[in-house]
Amino acid sequence: MNKPIAGGAGSAARLEVVLPHPRATEPRRLTRFLENERALAALLLAPTVLVLGTFIAYPFIMGVWLALSSTSVGNVGEFVGMRNFAKAWNDSIFRTAFGNTFVYTFWATIFKLTLGMWLALLLNRHFRGKRIVRASMLLPFIVPTVLSTFAWRWMFDPTFSVLNWLLYRADLITTKLPFLSDGTYGMWCAIVVNTWRGMPFFAITLLAGLQTINPDLHEAASLDGANGWRRFWYVTWPLLKPVTLVVVVFSVIQTFSDFQLIYVLTGGGPANSTHLLATYAYQVGVATGLLGEGAAISLFMLPVLFVVVWLQLRYLRRMDGA
Amino acid sequence: MRRREFLTTTGLAASVAATGLESIVAARRAPAFAQGTRLNILRWVDFVPACDVELRRQASEASKALGAEVVFEFINANDLQPRITAAIQSGAGPDIIMMLHNWPHLYANGLVDVTELGEWQGKEQGAYYAQSEAAAKDGARWLALPHGIVGLQFAYRKSWLEEVGQTTWPRTLDELRQVGMKLKKKGKPMGQTLGHTFGDAPAWSYPLVWAFGGMEVDRTGKKVVLDAPATLESVKFMQAFWKDACDEGGFAWDDTSNNRAFLAGEIAATLNGASIYIAAKRGQEKIKDEKGEPMVKDIQHGPIPNGPAGTHGYHVAFSHAVMRYGKNVKLAKDFLTWLHGKQQFAKWFEVAEGFSVGSTKYWEQHPMWERVDPPMKIYRQAAAASRMIGYAGPPSARATEAYTKYIIVDMYAKACQGTKAEDAVKWAAGELSKIYG
Amino acid sequence: MLIERTWKKWVYFYIPLTVFVVGTLFPFYWMLITAIRPDAELYRSWRAATNTPFWTLQPTLEHFRDLMAKTTFPQWLWNTFFIAVASTAISLFCGLLAGYALARLRFPMAGTLGTSIFVTYLVPPTLLFIPLANIIRTFQLGDTPWALILTYPTFLIPFCTWLLMGYFKTIPRELEECARIDGATRFGAMLRIVFPIAVPGILSAGIFAFTLSWNEFIYALVFLSSPEKKTVPVGVVSELIRGDIYFWGQLMAGALLGSIPVALVYSFFVEYYVTGLTGSVKG
Repeated sequence: MNKPIAGGAGSAARLEVVLPHPRATEPRRLTRFLENERALAALLLAPTVLVLGTFIAYPFIMGVWLALSSTSVGNVGEFVGMRNFAKAWNDSIFRTAFGNTFVYTFWATIFKLTLGMWLALLLNRHFRGKRIVRASMLLPFIVPTVLSTFAWRWMFDPTFSVLNWLLYRADLITTKLPFLSDGTYGMWCAIVVNTWRGMPFFAITLLAGLQTINPDLHEAASLDGANGWRRFWYVTWPLLKPVTLVVVVFSVIQTFSDFQLIYVLTGGGPANSTHLLATYAYQVGVATGLLGEGAAISLFMLPVLFVVVWLQLRYLRRMDGA
Repeated sequence: MRRREFLTTTGLAASVAATGLESIVAARRAPAFAQGTRLNILRWVDFVPACDVELRRQASEASKALGAEVVFEFINANDLQPRITAAIQSGAGPDIIMMLHNWPHLYANGLVDVTELGEWQGKEQGAYYAQSEAAAKDGARWLALPHGIVGLQFAYRKSWLEEVGQTTWPRTLDELRQVGMKLKKKGKPMGQTLGHTFGDAPAWSYPLVWAFGGMEVDRTGKKVVLDAPATLESVKFMQAFWKDACDEGGFAWDDTSNNRAFLAGEIAATLNGASIYIAAKRGQEKIKDEKGEPMVKDIQHGPIPNGPAGTHGYHVAFSHAVMRYGKNVKLAKDFLTWLHGKQQFAKWFEVAEGFSVGSTKYWEQHPMWERVDPPMKIYRQAAAASRMIGYAGPPSARATEAYTKYIIVDMYAKACQGTKAEDAVKWAAGELSKIYG
Repeated sequence: MLIERTWKKWVYFYIPLTVFVVGTLFPFYWMLITAIRPDAELYRSWRAATNTPFWTLQPTLEHFRDLMAKTTFPQWLWNTFFIAVASTAISLFCGLLAGYALARLRFPMAGTLGTSIFVTYLVPPTLLFIPLANIIRTFQLGDTPWALILTYPTFLIPFCTWLLMGYFKTIPRELEECARIDGATRFGAMLRIVFPIAVPGILSAGIFAFTLSWNEFIYALVFLSSPEKKTVPVGVVSELIRGDIYFWGQLMAGALLGSIPVALVYSFFVEYYVTGLTGSVKG
């Protein structure tokens, strides 16, 4: 964190010289108005509140109304209370999707975190071609998800899978592995693709965190006789914790409400075994046209996300305070 | 600066006025619609690419004839339903949307009544197939205008079947399984999708229920009768057939996967539209069999073999719906009259080479059938022998709902993945009861 | 400082790094090889003796040519770029101002407002999808790029605000106070002192927002309809997926070409991205 501040101080110093003169030309009243913290805050927040109010608050209220009504495509529904939620809860596919969402989020996050951390530690060392390796590691994060998932689907293709070919040639298998044609395999394939896509984000962000750690600390620790693992555990990890938590929060939010990846990879099949809440909500609400039920399924995500994020943020604040 | 601005604006105004004049002149030729009127039509991306090319050509012709710009949009069939839902809910979108299966019933409240057109087409082109009516007609009201029917038959490799001693296409489902068993042992299984995909999966699952005498609901369309011995038999057959004769990757296939697998020489037979044959024929130089000969010479078609209750295909009906929110309803109707009329439809029909057949019996008599290759002739009358999803009830939005939730498909998929046949049937019947209840 | 033995360096460093590089980049290699492989080879049976999945002896640019000739791919690329830049600009503008206000100014309800902005990030898009379609209609935005430019900020602004808020907190208050003692207004100090220092943070939020808009699929699928107005992901998926032509080559060509612009943006700004993110999360 030293770098930007140092740079900033420099530019501030330069700016001081230029500062005084524009004041004279500014209209007094506006200046006084803007000196008022409340007024300035209101002004600065106005665009955000306007955009989010129009494009989130209103649709959100509409969405909640949908979830409480029997609306289906082309038909105005009536208020049915919690019936859509009850129906979803008693639906076996919903329960599968609900469970899948947790499994998917949990494992994908664990993998992204451990692999991302490992990669960050590797990238934090000096070696030839460091810059190009760092930049290329970001590639999976950049390609539009839909398109990269198509590439994975092509690699997992039941008939033309290159992975099967490889394993077959290496005499590791005698029949093709059912990558996407079996529910369990399918779920793990989705987790692998999600990990592949999300790991670079972890790695780069953690790398950023690592670079702020003073190397002297490591030197001191190694002089004290700490080996690599202990150095990581007692020196690096505590300092990285805040960064890690923030990345995990973002990742959990994105993974929990993931849609594109499953939509392209399996479409929720075979036999609904790979549905996530988002894809199932989409199938019920948008494809089948039962808008009320679809909205109810989507809404199930909100409290869960809220609790997860709240816990993480609270932990973060407590650490900040300490 | 200001002056220049002024000049450009007046210049613009002048040019606007000029186009205005032009439009008045043009109006004398094509009287119908205000200049700049645009008619948007949303269709799937056709499995026979030449068909879309032909439609684009017709669109420019229609634009001239109707005095409005006619624009086609083609998207992946699996993405059609979200587009329809969003369009109806938001009250904005394409003026005409292509409907598959019996979707018109699901979206009935968002569609313009086209009874007039439906009756006109029936008069001009002879009696509709029952399938066309079931898909798009609710009582006396036409919800959408039937366009064509995509026939689905088994495509198979003649020489491979001969290798296992089968010179004709199997007559019964049991025979099919026996042949498939021998083929799978040789590493040349049959292949079929049981995934979540719009066409091939339901077109294979529903007929199997019917072949054993099973039904989703009774004639009134109110009582779910799926949980019956007949359905159970069909599920047990599918379990055995899947294990003995099919490529088990089929769980993850979409509508295009079996086409690719077949053309790459991975599978011996698959239930599909005629697109496999047509692609093999058009790509003769690229698509070869093991001996290096064009594969198309080795492809033949056959119907779904008989079960204990005979055979009833499921051939997918296509129709064009005029959307209620549209601002150009009159224009949309005029365009459909133009496009579905004998003269224009015939052009498109010929390009399709039997992949899409007409919505009425009239098209069975078309001279194109004399010109097509012998293996394609089976599609000529295919549409007549079709049932509609939701059998034996009347066509309804509920049948469509069961279809979009892939309940029948998943009943088989579950069973083939190890669920007990009884439980799979019970599950499906339970899901249907929730829909019809 | 520490001298490692060579084998140790291999086991702990070179081998794992190689595995990471291969694992990360293999799908790209696969896209490339699929995109330049002639059709006849693409559909060879996986057991065929002549099957050479990892290379091709007759590379072809046919798929790239088809992509350019038969679809409006360059137009899609431009649309995506325009939409991504515009929505990123709007989101950065809003996020910058809101982030500053929340980090620096004292006013009632500041905490509540900050939390609620963050919570909007949690609302699942599948819920907003239909109501948003309604709004698009009300504003007559259907089938225009503005339908996306105005809806993408719904998931970009919360992120930008939050990231920049964290970043602003790391900038010492003293800098601003010095400027104000020298006679700068509050607004002027924000504009001329704080924002320039926050450039790395702004860039990193911008890059992230740009990537998210470049990626978006579902809104773009539903809110746009004319073929020439589509974005890359939607255009590629809806026009290159059909039953019986060999679309994989073109699809992969599209995927590759579709990621190059973002890759360029990243390669220029990757260091800023890193510093910006750290700044925000340390705060």
